[in-house]
Amino acid sequence: MIVTAMRTLLSHYRRHPGQLLMLLLGLWVASALWSGVQAINASARDSYARAESLFTQNLDSLTRRDGAPLSRETYIELRRSGLEVSPLLEGEVESAEGVRLNILGIDPLTLPDDSGFASAGSGEALVAFMTPPYQTRLAPDTLKALGLARQDAANARPQLENGRRLPPLVLTPNLPPDTLLMDIAAASRLLETQGTFTRLVARPGEISDVPEALLLTPAATLVSPGQLTESFHLNLTALALLALVVGLFIVQAALGLALEQRLGMLRTLRALGVPGRTLVGLLALELLLLGGAGALLGIVSGVWLAQALLPDVAATLGSLYGAGVAAELSLPWHYWLGGLGVTLGGLFIAGTGVLWRAGRLSVLGLGQAQAWRAGFHRQLRTMSIAGALGGLMALGLWLWLTRLPAGEGLLAGFGLVTMLLLASALCLPPLLALMLAGLARLAKKRPLAQWALADLQLQLPRLALAMMALLIALSANLGVSSMVGGFRLTFLDWLDQRLAAELYLQPAPEYFEEINDWLLARPEVAETLPTSSAEATLLEALPANGSARTLTLAVSVFGITPGERLRAHWPLLNTLVGRDAAWAAITAGQALINEQLAIAQGIAPGDRLKLSSPTGPQTLQVVGVYPDYGNPRGEVALATSQLTKRFAAPPSSLGIVLHAGANTISVQNALVEHFGRREAATGVETLTDQQEVKRIATDIFERTFSITRALNALTLGVAALALLATLLAQSRERRRQLAPLWALGVTRSRLAGLQLSQLCGAALVTALLAVPLGIALTACLVSVINVAAFGWRLPLHLFPGEILLTVGVAVGVAALAALLPVLSLWRTPPRELLSQFEAT
Amino acid sequence: MLKFHQVHKAYTTPQGPLRVLDGVDMDLEKGQSLALMGESGSGKSTLLHLAAGLDLPDAGKITFQGISIATLDEPGRARLRRQSLGLVFQQFHLVPSLNASDNLRLQARLAGRENPSWTRHLVERLGLTGLERRYPEQLSGGQQQRLAIGRALAPRPALLLADEPTGNLDETSAKDVLTLMLELVQESGSALLLVTHSPQVAAPLDRCLKLTRGHLAEPTA
Repeated sequence: MIVTAMRTLLSHYRRHPGQLLMLLLGLWVASALWSGVQAINASARDSYARAESLFTQNLDSLTRRDGAPLSRETYIELRRSGLEVSPLLEGEVESAEGVRLNILGIDPLTLPDDSGFASAGSGEALVAFMTPPYQTRLAPDTLKALGLARQDAANARPQLENGRRLPPLVLTPNLPPDTLLMDIAAASRLLETQGTFTRLVARPGEISDVPEALLLTPAATLVSPGQLTESFHLNLTALALLALVVGLFIVQAALGLALEQRLGMLRTLRALGVPGRTLVGLLALELLLLGGAGALLGIVSGVWLAQALLPDVAATLGSLYGAGVAAELSLPWHYWLGGLGVTLGGLFIAGTGVLWRAGRLSVLGLGQAQAWRAGFHRQLRTMSIAGALGGLMALGLWLWLTRLPAGEGLLAGFGLVTMLLLASALCLPPLLALMLAGLARLAKKRPLAQWALADLQLQLPRLALAMMALLIALSANLGVSSMVGGFRLTFLDWLDQRLAAELYLQPAPEYFEEINDWLLARPEVAETLPTSSAEATLLEALPANGSARTLTLAVSVFGITPGERLRAHWPLLNTLVGRDAAWAAITAGQALINEQLAIAQGIAPGDRLKLSSPTGPQTLQVVGVYPDYGNPRGEVALATSQLTKRFAAPPSSLGIVLHAGANTISVQNALVEHFGRREAATGVETLTDQQEVKRIATDIFERTFSITRALNALTLGVAALALLATLLAQSRERRRQLAPLWALGVTRSRLAGLQLSQLCGAALVTALLAVPLGIALTACLVSVINVAAFGWRLPLHLFPGEILLTVGVAVGVAALAALLPVLSLWRTPPRELLSQFEAT
Repeated sequence: MLKFHQVHKAYTTPQGPLRVLDGVDMDLEKGQSLALMGESGSGKSTLLHLAAGLDLPDAGKITFQGISIATLDEPGRARLRRQSLGLVFQQFHLVPSLNASDNLRLQARLAGRENPSWTRHLVERLGLTGLERRYPEQLSGGQQQRLAIGRALAPRPALLLADEPTGNLDETSAKDVLTLMLELVQESGSALLLVTHSPQVAAPLDRCLKLTRGHLAEPTA
């Protein structure tokens, strides 16, 4: 009995392959996008875990202030003075395959024992690592970059692009991707560094007196790649979740339709002796089979999608956060189970309602579509109540989030966005039904319009889910594109703020004054903007009204030159007594703070800060707050002259502002001509054109958001497919509805036009409702999610052109989705319409 | 074989309870055919649904082959329909996604009693030869009803319940279908309970009862 009943149930899809396709498509798309993003996240996390096993070992690090390599003499001097420092040599080589690989040279004997770098082993392994021909330790996924297969790896000595050969290879799985670890002597030979080092590392707190020429970076100020990139991955996950939800809307629409069309079959089967519970069980089994197939298809495509996107994502993460991510997928077992679980779980949520309704319908009323429609009216009421409750919950979450400190509540923020989207989607069908009923009353004197509106009301139960999916996709599209557009404008402003001068230079400290004086004497140069930087601890915050708060917060101190150009470009979000007064106060020795510090510590203009410095604690008044996009840390800005004096920090870079019309290249050439021929390193080789830096930064920005845009466009595409699939699935029945009108004398072209305008009208209303929702979503993204993720708020920018385009896309998508069924109606011969008419 | 004893059934309506069956007694023997007549809305279909275990009486007892239907749970009543009953509806209720051949075999397969030679015989007798691969929508009304009768008789049920089986057919088709159904019922050895409002349809059957205001009685002339 069970096999026959199952075969009979499934025979529906043989006659309606479009519905099966729609179901599988929904499951496939939902699962593919979700699994793809999760595959990227899982691979990236694996890479971070491996990188963190090396780099986040709480080692303090010493480098030269001028960025030059450290000499062997400096190292020996520090060791002789009793400091237990260990040298590191870092560099890059290019493999014969053209892939850039990081070389990490270590001295295992001087490394702190518990350091992740100390992976050279002990005993014979250590001897083999440290003595010729040395060893190259690398992770298996780095082999591809060297053009080697795993079985050929052991002791191979691959050649590099420059003709040199690597020491024999030894596989070490826990090393980060594209990293070659070797003894410092082997690395030095390979990189031709003549015995210099890039940095010295030591246990935290080991180094107390730092020589003047060196810069100490305490381990506490380092941020792991996992922490830095957390928000990036969370954003990807949120978009994938959105696609999953939209995909599941298709699934639910398809399931509802498939069940509605099988009501007669279910009644017949029950009348022929198949128990109701068996039928519900078989429907659940059908769901499981379809879910399994969809999930499998989705996971396979997701892995393919991830493989295609991963190199771009890896490049983005590398350029944005310096986080190395393997370009090949590395998927743990729980990824596969997770993908299957999420798809089946989603299917379960989408299908439970349908199964529940099927189980509750009485056998005698089972074949009546009327019972189903009466159910929809009840559903509309439930949707309104659930939507209102969701709206209230979103409001509650928003109120709670406004009270949380910055940097907290990211998940709750995403919860708010989800709740907002779901509440709006739930309210859409009741709202559309209400509008249609009202319009139908208004159109009483125009029978065809009245029919069209009444007919759309009848179609609503089937169209509702597709319209809900469209609303979610449109508002998400609008929200994300406004956020990205706003971010772009803000980012460009920030670049202007930080790169106010035409040229930038990092002169060697001993030549700084000479180069600065020479530049100021040039007729093309309007002014120079020296900068400097230091690390300090914020010891106390003294509010203008209130008692002092003791803190121990590591902050960056940044020196700026408030020249004419910089003042014009540097935005201030908040000042004590206006911009001009703030800049005058900065020149006089007061400070600005970045938004991150202001929000995180509740510091406002007028408050005073006590900072640690080599010359003793410094107390500064905060005279303004500036935006500082992309910086995860708190920062205090002072005039460079003040920073040099009070924090003993030498100037680090020089911005060169030229007069209007001055030739950048002639200044560059003159500078190189004058200083470049000296034997000692003057730093003129670091001369950079601001335009070039902006171009690179903008490229990185665009690449970061290209993935967001792609996922967003895919979501909209999925919603369009949902609409198309819904319309195709019911096109045969639509003809049955339209046949009586044709019989009454309405031409086929008029009928086709009516159908097109019905759907485009519904899509237009949905798109118009998506506009305020999209704006609300943008506001949530910039003022809630961004603050929770990064600690700073983005200004809200709206783009009317973009909004119009989205509305146009919605109507276009609906028109496109309606076109196929409309064309099919257009082409239906009158004879067939006649038979449809007889069947009604 | 099928016994109704003091069966009562009422429905709730906005105007108050509507008594459809009010103490109905009825007896149908093995191999016998019985026509149940009555006006529209007199409760004929309700009586048939009760006999099929699709609904339960408010009071009274219905037994089939000695077993009280009310004592069976839902799966039990489903088993009864599957194994012992055949149903023919006015609206045919064929499965639109199965072709004629699969529709015909459906109940026999559900009952696990598919008999190829009997099925072939049915196809032939019902005049469906050559139409096996067609789907219901590709058949005429008469062909669809013949197919529905074939589906009901394929497992050779003990009792065939037919609800206005010719109500949707023209006069000629109706006559053909009825004659064929009665012949096949006889061949299969099933009993028949047929609901109709037409005296012409009721005439060839062994017995005829009329349902009026909830009571069953022999029809007057």
